[in-house]
Amino acid sequence: MKPFFQKVPRLVVVLVLLALFGLVRSPLEDGLRTRLVEANLLTPPPAQGAFEQMGQSALMGTLGGLRSLVATFLTLEAFEHFSTKSWDDLRQSYQIITALEPRDETHWVSVIWHLGINATANMEVEGRLPAFERERRFKEYAFQAIDFAERGIEQIPESSAIRIQLAEIYREKLKDDCAVARVYGDTIGLPDAPGYVRRFHGYFMARCPGREKEAYAYLMALYQEGEQQRLPTLIKEIQNLEEKLGIPGPRRIPDADPDRPQKTPRRPPNLLPGDILVPFSVQDLRKIRG
Amino acid sequence: MNAETTVPKSSPRGAARPVPLFSPGRVATIASGTVTQLVRMKTFYFLLAFALVVVAVGNFNLPATPAKELSMIKKVSFGTMDLFAWLFAIVATALLLPRDQEDRTLYTILSKPVRRIEYLLGKLCGVLVVVGISLVIMYGICAVMIGARESLFVSAEIEAMTSSGRYSPEEIEEQVGLIRQQGLRPELGIAVGASFLKAAVVAGMTIFLSTFASSSLFTIIVSILLFLIGHAHTMASSFWLHSSDNSMIVQMLVKVVKILIPDFQLYSFSEGIVQGEAVVYALVGQMGLVTLGYLVVFLLLSLLVFVDKEF
Repeated sequence: MKPFFQKVPRLVVVLVLLALFGLVRSPLEDGLRTRLVEANLLTPPPAQGAFEQMGQSALMGTLGGLRSLVATFLTLEAFEHFSTKSWDDLRQSYQIITALEPRDETHWVSVIWHLGINATANMEVEGRLPAFERERRFKEYAFQAIDFAERGIEQIPESSAIRIQLAEIYREKLKDDCAVARVYGDTIGLPDAPGYVRRFHGYFMARCPGREKEAYAYLMALYQEGEQQRLPTLIKEIQNLEEKLGIPGPRRIPDADPDRPQKTPRRPPNLLPGDILVPFSVQDLRKIRG
Repeated sequence: MNAETTVPKSSPRGAARPVPLFSPGRVATIASGTVTQLVRMKTFYFLLAFALVVVAVGNFNLPATPAKELSMIKKVSFGTMDLFAWLFAIVATALLLPRDQEDRTLYTILSKPVRRIEYLLGKLCGVLVVVGISLVIMYGICAVMIGARESLFVSAEIEAMTSSGRYSPEEIEEQVGLIRQQGLRPELGIAVGASFLKAAVVAGMTIFLSTFASSSLFTIIVSILLFLIGHAHTMASSFWLHSSDNSMIVQMLVKVVKILIPDFQLYSFSEGIVQGEAVVYALVGQMGLVTLGYLVVFLLLSLLVFVDKEF
């Protein structure tokens, strides 16, 4: 019994010291955690739903500090679902991936592209399903992609890539010009936003019923900025609006200058789309053979 | 003066030199002995496994853009590096004390004028040196793979964009910049440092456990369990609290766990760096101080258990 009594106080002392150290470090660590999260160096805990959806191994990996590894593994798994067109499984995988790494923009862009473009395109041509079901699933996937986009924007408000991908769904799949104009409008001024979003915002606003006047004023302001904005599409859109709004002749803009240098170099006449070369000369023949 | 305490004036071996309370030299000797001991255990062989993982991941033909592929290679490599570092820290530290006892080296060391704190600190430093060397080698392997893939992607992208003739030099530069952002950057060294800090706390905790554990197996299992709990408690506590409707008992339990077990999840800031976020050096410095605090406390607690342990 003696060694037992000798040992107990020592263990108690150890535990008390450990607890005291814990009490001291706990608020310090909480502060550090907050600042690390604010600096985007540390990811906050995954959302409630993510744990419930995870498989046992993914859960263990995540809890064991292998969050990045689990997310990468699930990304590969998601590609497998894309290859087999298992869209619901793909969505499930990305639910977890985006919960594990919400600050990784590429995950959000990928899932929006997969569901909004690939899955909907698949529903357009899927011959094994009746037309009604295809249409229903088409809309379902498009709206799921929009839902992902909204959550992604919530996580990374400064992301232009997510918004551009979202605009593509409204533009190509749902044909909702007003929504496209709104999304491009939200993208203007964000870091890494491409220059064309300002023009695209105007183009789609012009096609949004009821916003023609606003679009005309906006596009004219762009036109007034100078030569670099006077692209053929912008001129065409303004001219369409001039017709629609009945702008008097003297206030209308001139046609696009046909001699204006093109930004993209002219394709050689014997180069077909897909870079297929039609031999016009001996050099062309050599190029094809070599 | 008492006759019994009088030092004899002439001794055949001369007067014994006073033993300093703490000697960094003795700590260094024990640390270098520990490094030799671990190297002889062929511990560095696990680097081969790591190299295989990195080479395999680097040669995947992933269905992604070059930037995304590089990001994936980095995430897998650094994740594996982190895993190897903490696992190695646990296993190596857990083996040392029982091995010294088994080989009877411990008795020889402690019979010399070596303080127990010096012994423990020497052992810990030895493990940390080996973990540090391993991490540097792993980072070297990673850097070679990432650098090679990056230059391959950059040259392929430049070639493709130039040959298409549709892109301006600025657009090519922008595209190359996107790839380089996910490539080899000096900040990645800080991510390796974060893994080292985590491994150091794990080693400190394991050395504390091994001072009262009955076997290496017990130390390894308990250390891994504590590591997993320490990693998960922040994540899991919100989940438990939510599912138990913020029950008082769960709240108490969560608090006890939080106080007693180190928060290893904090060290996951390496993931943010790997993903390309900007490093905040002040925060990294503070994490270093927290780690130092953990090491000092674990070492003192180990000493408290180890100081009058009889072998």
